[in-house]
Amino acid sequence: MDPVKITIDGREIVTEKGKTVIQAAEDAGIDIPHYCYHPKLTIAGNCRMCLVEIEKMPKLQIACNTLATEGMAVKTQSPKVLEARRAVMEFLLINHPVDCPICDQAGECWLQDYYMEHDLAASRFEERKEHERKREIFGPYVVFDGERCIKCTRCVRFLQEVTRTDELTVVNRSDHATIALFPEKTLDNPLSVNVVDICPVGALTDRDFRFKVRVWYLKKTPSICPGCSTGCNISVETYQNRIARFKPRVNEAVNSHWLCDEGRYSFHGLTEGERLTSPMIRQEGGLVAVDWDTALRAVATGLAANAPAAAILSGRNTNEEAFLYSRLMKQFVSDGGLEVFYRERELTEVEKILKSPDRSPNFRGARHMGVGSEAGVEPLLKNIIDGKFRSAYVVGEDLASLSDLGDRLKSALGKLSFLVVQDTRMTPTAALAHVVLPSTNFAEKEGTYTNRRGRVQKLNPALVAPAGALQDWEIFARLLGESYDRPADIFAVLSRQLPAYAGLDYEKIGALGADLEAQHQ
Amino acid sequence: MEKILLRNIDAPDSQTLEGYRACGGYRALEKVLREMTPEKLIDEVKASGLRGRGGAGFPTGMKWSFVPKDNPKPKYVVCNADESEPGTFKDRLLIEKDPHAIVEGTIIAAYAIRSHTSFIYIRGEMFYGAQVLQRALDEAAGAGYLGKNVLGSGYDIDLILHRGAGAYICGEETGLLSSLEGGKGWPKIKPPFPATHGLFGCPTVVNNVETLAALPWIITEGAARYAAIGTEKSKGTKLFCVSGHVKKPGVYEVDMGYPFKKFLEEDCGGMANGRKLKGVIPGGASMPVLRADELDGITMDYESFQAAGTLLGSGGVIVMDESTCMVRAAWNLSRFFAHESCGQCSPCREGCHWIEKILNRVEHGAGKPGDLEKILSVSGNIGGNTICPFGDAASWPPAAFIKKYRGEFDEHIAAGKCTIH
Repeated sequence: MDPVKITIDGREIVTEKGKTVIQAAEDAGIDIPHYCYHPKLTIAGNCRMCLVEIEKMPKLQIACNTLATEGMAVKTQSPKVLEARRAVMEFLLINHPVDCPICDQAGECWLQDYYMEHDLAASRFEERKEHERKREIFGPYVVFDGERCIKCTRCVRFLQEVTRTDELTVVNRSDHATIALFPEKTLDNPLSVNVVDICPVGALTDRDFRFKVRVWYLKKTPSICPGCSTGCNISVETYQNRIARFKPRVNEAVNSHWLCDEGRYSFHGLTEGERLTSPMIRQEGGLVAVDWDTALRAVATGLAANAPAAAILSGRNTNEEAFLYSRLMKQFVSDGGLEVFYRERELTEVEKILKSPDRSPNFRGARHMGVGSEAGVEPLLKNIIDGKFRSAYVVGEDLASLSDLGDRLKSALGKLSFLVVQDTRMTPTAALAHVVLPSTNFAEKEGTYTNRRGRVQKLNPALVAPAGALQDWEIFARLLGESYDRPADIFAVLSRQLPAYAGLDYEKIGALGADLEAQHQ
Repeated sequence: MEKILLRNIDAPDSQTLEGYRACGGYRALEKVLREMTPEKLIDEVKASGLRGRGGAGFPTGMKWSFVPKDNPKPKYVVCNADESEPGTFKDRLLIEKDPHAIVEGTIIAAYAIRSHTSFIYIRGEMFYGAQVLQRALDEAAGAGYLGKNVLGSGYDIDLILHRGAGAYICGEETGLLSSLEGGKGWPKIKPPFPATHGLFGCPTVVNNVETLAALPWIITEGAARYAAIGTEKSKGTKLFCVSGHVKKPGVYEVDMGYPFKKFLEEDCGGMANGRKLKGVIPGGASMPVLRADELDGITMDYESFQAAGTLLGSGGVIVMDESTCMVRAAWNLSRFFAHESCGQCSPCREGCHWIEKILNRVEHGAGKPGDLEKILSVSGNIGGNTICPFGDAASWPPAAFIKKYRGEFDEHIAAGKCTIH
């Protein structure tokens, strides 16, 4: 690194050669307002919001395209700069409909925020506003409002530079310039909704989230996407104990600024629908509700009496849960009988930018905990179909509904002497069970996932689990006859026992996760 | 005054290769290829004092010298023939009457920066001009002035004519390059500059038609002769396109430093219809207007116009007599710029139409107190804060009109109607 010394508003800052003024300021915690600049996209320089005064330069310069050079003196708060910023705000708003009361972006809109900070004056514009296209469907998840658009071209650049799918461009000139789909194109690439995240205003909104809840009511919980084993960092945003949306959290070691569409909407399938609120045991005439003690006793005796057992843990279970499950089930299984659910699929080139070829966010961690092997779950599923087991304990996976093997698994599971299904809903698999144990989903859990690349990251509970359900780790602990206050206690035990996790401290994993040491990845 | 740029205009068949050769055409290229290294050529053009004739007046030889010699990428010269500044029609005359001078000048410039493929970007509306230029290119290729091993010198050069699609902004050099690359004609942010990162990211020089057309004469007659004409900082001759209320509008070639008033009164025959002069836009529509009483002592060169608070620009002289409504003139210009703003950066995209809308109101009787201050404020917020010089070009004229004819604007607002017509 070549150090470069500059001053910003009189404050001396050491940055490195090649950095722009806006980057140097950002690193030093100085916010230079901007719209079109995005750290992951090329420089467009079109919004003119980041104009700053630089000593010895007659004109104001855009901080996003000005390299920091030795001795440069930058002013971000001079009267000239403040007036230019106010003017840009005024320009951006003259043709804007100012329909904040019905705009989803309200509350997280850069126009609103910067207006409060840098303008705060009544409009001087007395002419007729230009109108633009409203509510144009760009794709399955994205809708466009041309009147709210400030033409920063972040969306266009994202689609050119990140996905390279080129669905959008700018058409027309002057104040009729607007964003548009290329003919015959739809904004439906697997990362399409990132354009909504990077749109600083209400021009591009999320059709799934639209009109659901005002953003200032959202509770934001940092967590990990359960969609696949990339482990994208997300903010789970909830309202009245329901997930309203996922937003990506920036983590350069994992997902940068992005989140794929499949992961983004995965919460619908995983958290919605009627929940199980009581353990159940099969009696004549069907499943009947019982208390937890009765149900857990039935599991213990049923498994002991019906060896060998097949044990399948969901890829969405945490390391702490997997650690206990592994120790529990090793009492009842023989070789190859204990696996984490992990199946691969083909990905397109655009999907490969972010996605992993699975839907098991913690398969890597589960294997570290002793659940399963590199052989994977396929041989186990085949053995279940072939009737090699007398019992099974299936956690969080609806095997009877798998598109390829579902019918044969349903038939095989139905023939078992003893089947335990632990899940959040009455799935077709749970309907076959002798004992059903109501548990929790990823958004109700606390714990850790280890992603495909060996990075340990924390899940935080964003939702309150329904009364009657127990956390998966509590169920396993009770079956083991052990007692923990919280997942951190389990992590403390597992990190003592597993060399790969030895250096990790639950409290120090932090919001961005921690890599396992290279030899264990 | 010796004609340099218009030397061939009246010659018979000047637009053909034969006609051009009869006037001594392509002798400069022969001299360059036989006697001069690119370095010597650049020095010669530097010594001539030739400055860019597109409007900015940047020294041509120095512009060429910014192209890095050791850059392994292809290098390009682009002849800017996208003449679209209102009031400017000098390049069109050269294109239609003396196309080979442009071709020869472009080849000489290409040789100076060691380019082997170069372009002429011509305004889409100049359909006839494009036909004439294409014919000239074909003739030049047939005669061995273009293509492989030009005149046996070992130097290869291809020259490609490209027609624009009708946007004023494509006359701005980086907007032109974006358009030539096949994209929307959006100016590029600088840095980097075209000299190092121009067309397709390669070192590029963009020169105006008139600049390039001056090169053959400079080479054959010598830089010293060219530099002997004009003033200290404005060398040689310049084309001026005179339009409006004069007896003899047209394209004139004038030695730099010629008295402006004399030019209007004698060369252009004075005011038409016996009316009095009210104002002149001296350098194309984007340059600040001058009142009649400001013309005394002004000479036609970069320094003198600048000292008078305007610029030489493209040399488009628009003359307005006392029957002209200055509010309407300002509105007319603002409408052009509002229509032609490329829409890329916020101040210009939003501000140009704002100014146009207010001026429209004032001209049509709906002006309000405070409107003029608002225009001056908005214009000040555009100028200097945009990606390309268009923001200045669009914001200077209305501000200058208001400042210089304030009384007339105030009368419009007070009367609630146009007070001239």
